This record gives sequence, C-alpha cells and structure tokens, in this order.
Amino acid sequence: MIHKLLGGELFSQMVYQGASHLKHHAKTVDSLNVFPVPDGDTGTNMNLTFSSGVDELARQPHEGVGDAASALAKGLLMGARGNSGVILSQLFRGFYKAVNGKKVISARQFAEALKAGVDTAYQAVMKPVEGTILTVAREAAEMAVRAARTSDDVTYVMEKTLKQARETLRRTPEMLPVLKEVGVVDSGGQGLVFIYEGFLRALKGEEVSSQDQQPQKPVDPQELDRLVSEEHRAQAHLKTEEITYGYCTEFMIWLTNSTEPDKKPFVESLFRTHLDGMGDSLLVVTDDEVVKVHIHAENPGEVLNYAQQFGSLHRIKIDNMREQHAAIVQGGTSHRPEAAEANPHADGNGQAPTGKPLKPYGIIAAAAGTGIADVFRSLGVHVVVEGGQTMNPSTEDFMKAIAECEAKQVIILPNNSNIIMAAQQAASLSEIPAGVVPTKSVPQGMAALVAFNGGADLESNLLAMGEASKQVKTGMVTHAVRDTQMGDVQIKEGDFIGLADGTIVTAERELMKSAEGLLKMLVDEETEIVTILYGEDATKEQAEELQALLADVYPDVEVEVLPGGQPLYPFIISVE
Amino acid sequence: MKPIVILTDSAADIGESYRQPLGIEMVPLKVMFGEDSYLDGVTIRAEDFYVKLKNSAVVPTTSQPSPAEFAEKYKEIVDRHGSDVQIIGIFLSAVLSGTYQSAVIAKSMLDGDIDITLIDSRKASFAHGIVAVEAARAVQAGKSKQQVLDLIARLLDEIQVYFMVDTLEYLQKGGRIGKASALLGSLLNIKPILTLDSSGTVAPFERVRGSKKALNRMLEELKAYAKEDPVKVAVVHADSRDAASALMERIKTEFRVTESFVTDIGPVIGTHAGPGTMGCVMFRDLQQT
Repeated sequence: MIHKLLGGELFSQMVYQGASHLKHHAKTVDSLNVFPVPDGDTGTNMNLTFSSGVDELARQPHEGVGDAASALAKGLLMGARGNSGVILSQLFRGFYKAVNGKKVISARQFAEALKAGVDTAYQAVMKPVEGTILTVAREAAEMAVRAARTSDDVTYVMEKTLKQARETLRRTPEMLPVLKEVGVVDSGGQGLVFIYEGFLRALKGEEVSSQDQQPQKPVDPQELDRLVSEEHRAQAHLKTEEITYGYCTEFMIWLTNSTEPDKKPFVESLFRTHLDGMGDSLLVVTDDEVVKVHIHAENPGEVLNYAQQFGSLHRIKIDNMREQHAAIVQGGTSHRPEAAEANPHADGNGQAPTGKPLKPYGIIAAAAGTGIADVFRSLGVHVVVEGGQTMNPSTEDFMKAIAECEAKQVIILPNNSNIIMAAQQAASLSEIPAGVVPTKSVPQGMAALVAFNGGADLESNLLAMGEASKQVKTGMVTHAVRDTQMGDVQIKEGDFIGLADGTIVTAERELMKSAEGLLKMLVDEETEIVTILYGEDATKEQAEELQALLADVYPDVEVEVLPGGQPLYPFIISVE
Repeated sequence: MKPIVILTDSAADIGESYRQPLGIEMVPLKVMFGEDSYLDGVTIRAEDFYVKLKNSAVVPTTSQPSPAEFAEKYKEIVDRHGSDVQIIGIFLSAVLSGTYQSAVIAKSMLDGDIDITLIDSRKASFAHGIVAVEAARAVQAGKSKQQVLDLIARLLDEIQVYFMVDTLEYLQKGGRIGKASALLGSLLNIKPILTLDSSGTVAPFERVRGSKKALNRMLEELKAYAKEDPVKVAVVHADSRDAASALMERIKTEFRVTESFVTDIGPVIGTHAGPGTMGCVMFRDLQQT
C-alpha cells in the first residue's frame, strides 16, 4: 500500500503494530543476552519501555503525526528502563522533535525524523558503542534518507529502512567482539528490528499478528484512576509555565433517562468532541449508566455546565494544576491539595511538600535485597529503589525517588551497568539538581557512599565518589542460565559462575567451589578488607566458611559477613 | 635572665617522665563518673581510667579547671620562680574545652604585673603536648621568650594530626563531634579518619573501610607531608598499646624518625574519643635538615 503522507492515525497504527510485534518476540530478544547470567533482560526492558509509550499514545486519538509522536515520546521517556530502553526513548524523542506540530509528513520528512532520532540518541549516550542498537538505528536511518530521495512512498522508505536494519543487525557480531564470541546478534538492535517490522506491517495494511496486543478503547472504568495518575506523572517534565489548561477536572455523570424533559441523550462521540475543544488530557469512560470524565480545562465551570445537560454530577474534583505542578514534578502521584504549597524552584529556604525543610543532600541507590537496602540506608542512602539484576527500574521510578528525597540536590547510585542510563535520564529530567555516580555493582555503590562528603558540593562529590567506586573489586556468584563458552571457561546451564568485575572467571557445579575460586582471583597481599554479602540462596554458615578460609590464607585481611538478601546471586563480594 | 616556665593542661597527655625533668607545669582538668570527681592525670591515670570506663554504668563527663585553680597555679609559679617569671601557657583547643578561657580569666584576676602569655593551641592530646615539650627544651637550652614563642608558633603551624576512633559514639556523647557528625553509624565496619582543622575543631578527613585501610591512609597522608624529611613522631592511643607500638615500628621503617613517642591518651581526651582511638602526630624536625 502506497502512503505519500503519514498522519497521526497511521503513525499510531505503526506504533501499535511495532509494540505488538516486539511484545510477541520479547523472549527472543531476552535470549540474546551476551552473558549467561540471569541479568537485566533487554527484551523485557524494551517491551516495558515501548508499552509505556503506547499507553500514552492510546489515551486519545491523534489526528496529527506531531501530536501522536509527542505522546509516544512522553510515554517512552518516563517508562524507559534498561540501557536499550533509554536509547529507544531517545530515538523517538528526536523523531518527535523533528515532526513537532505537523499534521502529516512526507516520506522524506519521515526519513529525516528517523535520522533526527539517531542524532538525539547519539548525543544522549556518553560513549556510544558501535555494534549495538545505536548502529542499527543509525545505518537504517541513513538508508531511509537515501531511499526518500528516490521515492515519495513512506511504505517503500520503511521497507528499505527495515532491510538495512536487518543487515546491520547481522553485522553486529563483527563490530562487537563479545557478540561474536557468544555467537549472537545485538539484543537491542534485534528489538528495534522487531519494532520496524511492526511499522512496515501497519503501512502495508497487514493484520496484527494477535489481537490481544493492541490496546483497545474504551478502557475499563476502574482504569480511570490509574490512567489519571499516570497522566500526571507523565507531565512531570513539563514546566509550570507551560501549562495551558490550568484546572484538572474530574467528575461522574449519572445518566438520566433521556425521556426526562430537561436532559439530552448522551452520545459519547459527540460529548467527546465537544469537550475536546475545552481542554486536553481528556479521558471519557462510559458504561451503561455512568460516565467518568477527566479533563484539563481552563474553564472547569463550562465543562460542568455542559456535562450537566446529560445527567446529575457526582464526585466533582477540581484542582489547580499550576499550584500542584511542583508536587507532580517532585513525584506526587495524586492530586493532593496539601502538596500544592510546594515551591518547584526550592532554594536554600525551600521546603519539602511535607513542610519539612529540604535536606542538603538526598542519596538514591538501586538495590535488590533487604539486607543490601539496609546496608545502603546505614551508609546514608535516603531512598532505595527496588531493582537490580532482572528488574531494572525505569526513569520514572528514579524521578519519583528524587522527589521522595525532599532534598536540594540528589545523588543516584544505579549499582548495575544496565540501570545507569535510566538513572542518568532521570537526573537530566529532574528540576532538582541531580547527578549519577555510574556504579556498576553493589560493592562499587558501597565504596562510593563511604567517600561521600556532606560538606562538599555536588560536582566534587560525584567526582570523589566515582573515583572511590573504581578502587573496589566486585565478585559475584550466580548460576548460568544456559550453556556457553566465555574465553577459557566452559559453562553449562546451572553451573555456579563467578564473575570478577563482570568477567566470568569460574564455573563449577558447586556453589562453594565457585565462590572459593572467585575469592582466590580477587584477594591478594594488598587486600585490606573483604565484605561478603550472602543472598537468598546462600546461608550465613556458608559465608562464614569463606571468611574462615580467607583468615587462614590472609590473616591480615579484615573480613565482614553481612546478610544481603539479594535474589539470584548467592554471594556478592567486595574487595578493597 | 628572667626565668621562663612552660605551663600546660592535663589534656596535653605528657607523661610524668617528661614533665618532671623538663619542669613543665600542669593544671589538671576533671573527669566525673557520676558524683565521683577525679583530677585528670593526678588522682586518676590512663590505665585505671579505661578499666573504670569499661565497668561503669554511667558515661563519664569532663570539666575544665576553674579560673581560681589557674590563679592558684600562677601564684605557685611566682612563689617558686620569683615575680619576674615569664609564664608561657599552651592549652587544649578552645573549641573543644573552656580550659584556655579559664586561664585567660585567671590572668585578669591577678593583682600585680606578671608576664603571662597564653596560647590556644587549637590542638589536643600530645599534639599540643609535644609542643610544650619542645618549648620546655628550648627554655632549658637558654632560648629567649621571643625565641620560644616563635618556636611554638612554627610548631603549631607545622604539626600534622590524624586519628581514627573505634566508634564515633564517644565523640557524639561528649558533643565534641563537630563536623564529623555526618559520619555516624553504619552496618559496615567504617573507620572515620579525623583531624583537627585550623580552628581546632574535630573534622572528618576521610572515612574508609576497616582499620588496616585507615592506618594505611593516615600514613599515606603523613608521607605526602614529610616526604624524605626527618620527622619527630608520636603515636597516641587509648588503651591500645600493642597496636600503637606496632604502628610505631612500621613508621620507623617508612620515615626518617629522629625522635619517637608512644603515648597514652589520658582520661579527659579518652572520655571523648573512646577506647581504641589511635592517632599520629608528626612534624618535620628542621634542626636536622
């Protein structure tokens, strides 16, 4: 099917199909994980990220492609989790900026928007690595631009784009040695190819593979509250002065029998169209007798007057959003009048929404395991964001945590290489000054915290903490999720593998053997202190066995044993 | 020539074996276990104090000498050395204790014209103790008052102090924690390395994991100060003589040490730092260069 112009509705269809296709293949993408460890799964992360974009998009029909792309970008940005998710969100942020305000775009504009997305993503990533989703997106977008010179058909351009994306994906093992070693293509790149495949299907008018994938309207009435709260969180990156419609208006209409003389019959589509002209963020959920309405309007009175023609009004709630916005920016998820006093540009005398004075510093750490969370809190962490190996927290999770800190400035410790980018994205979106110490492990996070100095400024702290985090060696023991060969180590599924600073150095059938082998690699004469955090799948006795072993070989080294409670990793070991 | 007398407080932690032969005069602070009051270094010594501290249900407190006690000491010195005596007093950091304040008030209470110079060392324990020792040696060597004062000023400027406490609990209880408060409490074995800043306040220098690392960091910092110059060095400790001696042995192999002291942290400083505290005091021995 030839499309000379791409509008909001068709673009939305592309996104729905892309999402559906990606969701369908999320497990395939997960299986492309380079390391055979139960780690942050790319497919799951990309799927959750993209779903968040789709939810935002599906909230209302978008006539213009600019509006649709804007909604998608907004949803992606807040839902971004995992490094591939963050890059994905940046690709579509750039796309949205290129088509902003446009009702329809040509094939050439579409290609250029893809290219703009790539540029944005490259800028967002501090050290772009070739052979990843970035390369796939870049080469595909370059091909799109070339294709758009010879054809004005969006479908043709998408076809060429997808073809190039597949080709580049096939070559990723040549660009990234670790992929070649394991014999897989890049997982993030594969995820993008699935999205593009969905795009093309929509353009060709093909049916969705499975019907359950596409978000359908109307939404379940119970969903309204959830939608509303998400809507508001999603606005956290708006500036207060950017709010056009100042009052969040929510109410229910109990539809009266249309035979009553003074009431009009209710027709949802007409009702919707009329309200659309009064504001934005419109949500209308109808069942037989009740209509739930949510709208951001500048004149809530007019909205209510209009609605009253169809029945009686109930549960009316009107909030001034310009006052409230501060609270939302700081993570307030509901309309709490008491939060309205907060000052979004809190300065030295600023107060938290709770009325307490802002702390000079707030520290956030991502961690899985109650013991590890306790250790972090005891080191001065204010908010522990649940998440680690398999559950990667999203940008939005970090945004909420930043607000929860109630601090003038915030430091984030992601403690996992796959969480760093979502944390950085949150820090850059935050109105409160925030910085990320790019810690890749729990031990690095602990070392960084020890170096924290409450009297120093944010910049110096980030520097000193980053430096300190590099002085520690990290050992982790987990089980292999599949057979593979890493360097000289032959690994069978179910083996306990020991990772020294991310490199697999031991693979044993027995946990303790693997842990001992790992310790031998990490500890030497120079070692001063070793901390062993035992997880859900190890016992205190086992950890103490390792402690005794170390005491025999290196009597000088101090060894601490602490319950970490982390899942999947029986031991996390810090060596300094 | 007019006689010169060096006066200090018991918080200087100068052992009697140094004080007596050098003629250093000392005014004791007080340590109270509940109702029981002791004169620091006079009616209670370090070794008895730490035993008592371990067994005591109450947390000891300390208090400065009263102005009257200082006035009495001044008179005693005048009686012994004559009215032309020149007294030079070197006292515990005024931020940490009112001792210096008492000495100053006592001076204003005196009738007649006695030459008294009072110095807030902005240091504590043997960090100002060692300055009193060096000053007394200069007096014995026949230096003039001005020469002695110049020496004291130079030493106070030169002296490096780093110490680590086993726990910040004692500093906190005694309210002497100053800027170190951010370092409190943790599930990990964290050793705060502390120092005294230019105002004489206890200040955090760095916090590290474990005492081995803490000692390494302290020595690293002292090495950066001393470089290859000869140094005089003191290791001060609260009830940790073996560890202190071991540390001194190590320092002797890593530094050019011209004189070394291993000194007990006395009851008053011990009340606030707590058992297990270990510190290094160092200055370059410029006479040797």
